[in-house]
Amino acid sequence: MKKYILTALLGAALAGSASAATLVYGNNGDPVSLEPGNITDGISITVQRQIYDTLVDFKDGTTDPVPGLAVSWKSNPDATSWTFNLRKGVKFQDGTPFNADAVVFNWKRWWDPKDPTGYRDQGRTYEIMGDLLGGFKGDKTAVIKDIVKVDDSTVRFDLTGGNSDFPVVIGSGYFGLASPTAVKEQGAKYGTPASTPVGTGPFTFVSWKTGDSITLKANPNYWGAKARVDTLVVRSIKDASQRLNELKAGTIDFASDLTPDSLGAVKADKTLTAIMKPSFNVGFVSMNNKNPILAKQAVRTAISMAINKKAIADAFWGGLAVSNSSFLPPVMAWANSSAVPGDYKYDPAAAKKMLADAGYANGFSVDLWYMPVSRPYFPTPKPIAEAIAADLSAIGIKVNLKTEDWAKYLQDRNKEPGFDMYMIGWTGDYGSPDNFYGAYYGANASDDINFNPPALQTLLEQGRAALTRDAKAKVYAQLHKLTYDAAYRIPMVHSQPLAAARTYVKNWVPSPLGSEAWNKIILIGKK
Amino acid sequence: MGIYVLRRLWRTLLVLIGISVVVFAFVRSLPGDPATVILGERANPVSAARLTEQLGLNKPWFINIKDPAHLFDAQYPRYIWKVVHGDLDKGQKSQIPVTDELRARFPATFELALAAMFFALLIGLPAGIIAALRRNSVWDSLATTVSLVGVSMPVFWLGLLLSYFFAVVLHWFPPSARLSTGVDLQPLTGLYVLDGLLRGRLDVAWDALRHLVLPAIALGSIPMAITARITRSSLLEVLGQDYVRTAKAKGVAPRLVTLKHALRNALLPVVTVVGLQAGLLLGGAVLTETIFSWPGLGSWLYDAISSRDYPVIQGGVIFAALVVSVVNLLVDLSYAFLDPRIQYR
Repeated sequence: MKKYILTALLGAALAGSASAATLVYGNNGDPVSLEPGNITDGISITVQRQIYDTLVDFKDGTTDPVPGLAVSWKSNPDATSWTFNLRKGVKFQDGTPFNADAVVFNWKRWWDPKDPTGYRDQGRTYEIMGDLLGGFKGDKTAVIKDIVKVDDSTVRFDLTGGNSDFPVVIGSGYFGLASPTAVKEQGAKYGTPASTPVGTGPFTFVSWKTGDSITLKANPNYWGAKARVDTLVVRSIKDASQRLNELKAGTIDFASDLTPDSLGAVKADKTLTAIMKPSFNVGFVSMNNKNPILAKQAVRTAISMAINKKAIADAFWGGLAVSNSSFLPPVMAWANSSAVPGDYKYDPAAAKKMLADAGYANGFSVDLWYMPVSRPYFPTPKPIAEAIAADLSAIGIKVNLKTEDWAKYLQDRNKEPGFDMYMIGWTGDYGSPDNFYGAYYGANASDDINFNPPALQTLLEQGRAALTRDAKAKVYAQLHKLTYDAAYRIPMVHSQPLAAARTYVKNWVPSPLGSEAWNKIILIGKK
Repeated sequence: MGIYVLRRLWRTLLVLIGISVVVFAFVRSLPGDPATVILGERANPVSAARLTEQLGLNKPWFINIKDPAHLFDAQYPRYIWKVVHGDLDKGQKSQIPVTDELRARFPATFELALAAMFFALLIGLPAGIIAALRRNSVWDSLATTVSLVGVSMPVFWLGLLLSYFFAVVLHWFPPSARLSTGVDLQPLTGLYVLDGLLRGRLDVAWDALRHLVLPAIALGSIPMAITARITRSSLLEVLGQDYVRTAKAKGVAPRLVTLKHALRNALLPVVTVVGLQAGLLLGGAVLTETIFSWPGLGSWLYDAISSRDYPVIQGGVIFAALVVSVVNLLVDLSYAFLDPRIQYR
């Protein structure tokens, strides 16, 4: 009986505290824009996700699609046309109705360069359409052919080719749907700090102090689970050590992107809970076909056998990473080939012999470029590069470590002749193997290694068009085998970005996709 | 003096025009283009080219020689045309007008620089004076050591250390930001401590002041050290001069000799250095602002440089040049007060 009374009291206390509570998140920078479709960065998505909903959502903590603003969707047999049935009775935060017109309005302004509400003459870019959906209206490579209102609560997307990933692509956080009325009223200003972004999401916009913080409040009319806190403040704290300091001092409630080496400090602090986010990235080393030595497959295989990836992952990620032979993060391991070993064989002796057989008994000299910036998949690129260099020197390869400014790095890797070997990586946008393979292989990828055989391109197209997961798995298994054997890109690591929260923060389930709505978070006992 | 000031302002204008040309050419000759950085890891040549065109960066820089009919349809003439109309253009990605950002961020940097300077003078001046007066004593060694540490400790390291020790361990000050979450203030001047007082909100002023302490110490540590050293050496030099000895021989009280006769003259080089430092503080608060999540000019410009946001870099540098020019003018004007022999022509 006592227990029930206690529970009831606790429940009452919670109900009381929830109404006035403020939840503070430490974001690792200031958003670029609060206008969906017009960003390419995760910092902006984190905030946008709280204000906007997408047609398709994802089950908590997974990449499995579930209904969002669309309650159901289906395609024609060859997946060239997708029809979405919209949720009825949903309203934007400004009181205007969410319906098929709103969906068409949003998509057309992103997709059609001539759309007058796209404000492209005022500097809007909508680059993500180009990257995730092949381009804009009129482009040869564009995935979308047309967006059609069928009736008030049905929208159809006609595509230029079969694409079974379409629902999950448009579920990515870039494509939140905004109130057409708000966009038209605010014009080119929409999404900047001087505007009021309006979506259907669990939180409504209050204010944006650039470089400092964004304040949101719970949307009382939200169609889904209503937020359990009254106010949400997203603070911009660029420095990872300072985010940890703020967490420890209790001035923020939760944060992501802490450095792997702070895991010990987080665990040692009784007021904090360490949260390992699901891994959804890959850090890898690419080798360039234009270098005549690296063009030899035996050399590349020897290099991949000489790098002790597991030791490197353990040393620099402190248990927050796995190393395997797959380009895909563990949650998409279903698409891997069983013919490929789970991990590359680490065997420096065999590698040395292989190198000698290839005609390089005395080794050779090669440039290895490491990134000048920290990313979850390579938090400390320089020492990781040094470790790789040490492993390669053991088989007689002299590695010259090089780096340069990030802007130049990104540009030079695509410029003739490119880098010999370089470190880079990828964090996924949506749960499809195509998002990983397509970003670095095929027509839309960066042209950095001069390896793009027709067989690979065909497989990419087949993978995109395959309708069921089983059919996809078959195609991607072949792609896995092909790219593994070619050994142009050596996957080093799939890291788990470290997040942490004060112990009173409950129900935070981070998404592998990098952002999730925080309407379900509860604060228990926060002062 | 009026003519002197006018002449200085005219020269400042010429300097600003020169700087606009230099910074314009400079940012465009930096390796790496804005489109590639905006697109990040996913940048491929096709998307980068498309974005470059959309940003208008495929046009010629200064004159469109290829197309004489549109000679001035180049980046610089367009930019200057806008600047003359009071528009410093918009941030390439954020679409926020540069003037709006300057207006929002300058007061933050100004408040921080003022506080840092205050800290530097509060500690640096007395330390320098004591070190000079008690030459070769324990006090001298202490002041010299502190100033050495102040000069040599990297600001970001000092900042994190201060934040960890005073915020996390001792809970005396907040770790970063300008105000606590939930503290509401409608800015008047943008200097939060002052705004708190003007609005009659002592709690807000106090909160803002507490947030100011740690970044001000971090930013002020180098000017503090420099001030202490300059004050010490300058005062030592003056104390050895004839008129000081004469004053002492005439029987003037030693304290009066030091404070009135020696110090006033010794301050001239100190003011020069402080003036230079003030300019540097305004433009160079990059690391401090980044560490302390201080939404000022420094962190904003730093981001702009790493993402090659041309309009922001241009506007920011031109504005910083203007501020440094004004500070230098004020420093020059203050010379006459300290040394009546100096005249303006």
